[in-house]
Amino acid sequence: MHELSIALEVCRMAEERLEPEELPLLVSVGLEVGEEAGLEPASLQFCLEALLAAPPFSGARPVITQLPGDALRLAYLEVDDGRPDD
Amino acid sequence: MAVRTIEVRERVMARNDELAAAVRERLHRAGVVALNLVSSPGSGKTSLLERTLDQLGEELDIAVVTGDVQTQNDADRLARRTTRLVQAVVTGGACHLDALQVETALGSLDLERTRLLFIENVGNLVCPASWDLGEEAKVVVFSVTEGEDKPLKYPKMFQQSRYAVLNKIDLLPHLRFSVDEAVANARRVNPGLRFFFTSAVTGEGMDEWYGFLRQQVRAVATIPAT
Repeated sequence: MHELSIALEVCRMAEERLEPEELPLLVSVGLEVGEEAGLEPASLQFCLEALLAAPPFSGARPVITQLPGDALRLAYLEVDDGRPDD
Repeated sequence: MAVRTIEVRERVMARNDELAAAVRERLHRAGVVALNLVSSPGSGKTSLLERTLDQLGEELDIAVVTGDVQTQNDADRLARRTTRLVQAVVTGGACHLDALQVETALGSLDLERTRLLFIENVGNLVCPASWDLGEEAKVVVFSVTEGEDKPLKYPKMFQQSRYAVLNKIDLLPHLRFSVDEAVANARRVNPGLRFFFTSAVTGEGMDEWYGFLRQQVRAVATIPAT
């Protein structure tokens, strides 16, 4: 029921970790959600898609991985910054 | 592809938990015991607090923070039972209180004149279980009109709570509700849960609750501040 609160916090964490110019370049947000975390993954996906479609983001895709237990982690951020791979 | 992966691997609740730790430290320094009352809507949290304020409000210097999705009705009801400020938090749709809201609410309370703080959470047996508010303990309130299987349906809330109040016991003669079965169900998910059996309307069972609250306040008073 509190998926929107969680989605807002995920966006805040992304904004904290990335430079402002990188935020529109964010292409995916990886989350690990435990089956006992008290969250409905489909609802969380919906909330994140809605928030990540609006500035400063530009349509990053939430990727939710379900795990046993009650973990709730922001696993990774993927940025397409146009730089060639190392 | 030029996609760069930034590993984060950080708990989403980390910021709330940091704030909750700060709230806990602040309350500890001020010698305040904070109990977070959680329940489904309509279990009688506000009635329990009304009666508790009548009996112990002055004696234990009780302060209250209430959380509701809309309206300040609970805060208004409780304000009639105490001369102290009852701080209302209207969450505007959110289904739980968070540590930032409690930290902000503490700014309005006179902690020097407070020994016991009740945080009356939003009525919801799911979401408040996930949010540490910096309280000493969660107290889950459920009532005999709700069914014996509430603890099995909402195990996380009963696991996260240290105490349980089974309220509205004055209605037992009118209901098919087994207290033994309710307690057994709760102890299946949390064997250490301590129970109180109350009626906030008739006062039955309230003396044990009052004794517990006095004991909680005394226990903190004997710990030297660090």
